Amino acid sequence: MTAAIEAEGLVKSYPAGRGAPRLRALDGLGFEAASGGVFAMLGPNGAGKSTTTRILTTLSRADAGTARVGGFDVAREAGRVRELVGCVSQGTGVDPVLTATENLVMAARLRGYSGVDARRRAAALLGEFDLADAAARRAGTFSGGMKRRLDVAVALVHGPGILFLDEPTTGLDPESRTAMWAEIRRLAAERTMTVVLTTHYLEEADRLADDVMIVDAGRRVVQGSPERLKATLAGDSLSVELLEPRADAVRAAIARVPGLEAVAVESRGTTGRLTARAADAPAVVGATIAALEAAGIPFGSVSAARPSLDDVYLHYVGRSLTADSTEEGAAA
Amino acid sequence: MSVATVHRASWLAQTAQVFARWARGTIRQPWGLGMGLIQPLVWILLFGQVFRSIGDAIPGGYLAFLVPGVLMMTVLYTGAWAGTGFIDDIASGVLDQQLTSPIRRSALVVGQLLQQLALMLVQGVIVLAIGLAGGARFDGGPLGVLAALGASLLLATLFCCFSTAIALLTRNQIALISISQLIVLPATFLSTAMMPTALQPDWVAAVAAWNPLSWAVDLGRAALAGDPAPDGWGAQLAGLAIADAVLLLLAERALAAYNRSR
Repeated sequence: MTAAIEAEGLVKSYPAGRGAPRLRALDGLGFEAASGGVFAMLGPNGAGKSTTTRILTTLSRADAGTARVGGFDVAREAGRVRELVGCVSQGTGVDPVLTATENLVMAARLRGYSGVDARRRAAALLGEFDLADAAARRAGTFSGGMKRRLDVAVALVHGPGILFLDEPTTGLDPESRTAMWAEIRRLAAERTMTVVLTTHYLEEADRLADDVMIVDAGRRVVQGSPERLKATLAGDSLSVELLEPRADAVRAAIARVPGLEAVAVESRGTTGRLTARAADAPAVVGATIAALEAAGIPFGSVSAARPSLDDVYLHYVGRSLTADSTEEGAAA
Repeated sequence: MSVATVHRASWLAQTAQVFARWARGTIRQPWGLGMGLIQPLVWILLFGQVFRSIGDAIPGGYLAFLVPGVLMMTVLYTGAWAGTGFIDDIASGVLDQQLTSPIRRSALVVGQLLQQLALMLVQGVIVLAIGLAGGARFDGGPLGVLAALGASLLLATLFCCFSTAIALLTRNQIALISISQLIVLPATFLSTAMMPTALQPDWVAAVAAWNPLSWAVDLGRAALAGDPAPDGWGAQLAGLAIADAVLLLLAERALAAYNRSR
């Protein structure tokens, strides 16, 4: 079976202002994504996820490297790729002045559907995405969640083989985000389609993806199913919320706690987080608490758990994605 | 991997859809059309009064002289803003969405251009009606009116495509407004729109002779006056047609450049 996506040595840089060196968004990115299921590109803002999506959907051209989508070369067979894919970009793709039905009918007719078929297709999609009651309303009056659902419906109007979703839940409230996750899971289960998702939300990748690629600084760091990636990390993870980011003091305090490995202390402004790995984390929680108390280091919650995707990210990238995601989520 | 059925739309069908989309937007946001009509009315009233004294030097009176000028100024000013729609589409993400679909790039440019031309045709008819109501005489009759409107659309094409190209290259509303202002005001005053060549300083007349706005004004003025073959009409018509072709190509290239730079 043809892979949904094959990318090799993708390089892309952008001008970064007068006198400044060009910003290298992709630095030799290469990966494969199998057909079917959900493939997620996970990484912080600026990692190169959206640039990769733009190249794969023919919106942008790589400076170097090759990419095939559904077996078609994105540079030489851009027209075939455009027929095959559906895209939901970070901005909205729908015209706010047109109604939901008009947006869908236009998208279908631009792709060659007759008027009758386009209207039939629009009605079916509006029903599928719970927008039938809003069919005659202008898209500009929609809530963020409704707009996102209409975006996805427009991208699906021609029954694409591959659906690209670039940060599909960024800016959505928690309720809309949960609803969108349910929609994505439903789509992946019900259609013979590959969903390619970019996200900086660990939970989103963990919940939705069959295959996750962690991207950092324009390169692939690691790729695999969330379960397999977590299984590569031996032992449990221990996490302590620090009320003061005194990294050296924390390290010194826990140096004598047996069984702690991969100790990392991150500063988050006036607070911090201690993370470590242990073969049996619950067994070392008591010793860790005692060591911190003995050193007079104030701390909040302490948790021991099976490895999460955040632990995988921390292990391979060397820093946590959670803090970035939280800050971006709060800003969105 | 393959799509069950690949539908392909013709260029005409895609252009018609793009046209319909922009036309709906114009109809649903009529304040733009309204403002576009108030402006020529103000010009006719204002310039008609300010320059009334030179009316004696012009056969047929200043109003009949001014109306073709205002007709062309109307399409010039409306056309100069044509690119704002593309900037809105870039900001919202609509353009990126369209560029990832199999729509032909030229259909995106031509569809919006045709909607702008349709809008300006309506504006042109209303400008001529205002002139007629104000007492201007069009000896060229219905054919002359059609020819004048045709000349206005040739000029409109030029400035719509120019505005679209600037919008796609700068992707910035303020840059588009600044560049448009920089061009339309001098273009207006360095033309035959409001002042006959005989009353212009020599250098202004020399510049006006190479100004596409003057070409369209002269063609429209002759057509409305019933002069079937004014001096230099062939060169003026050819000049407008060539400029239109070049600017249309430039607008399409600008869209391709936008695509490449993403």
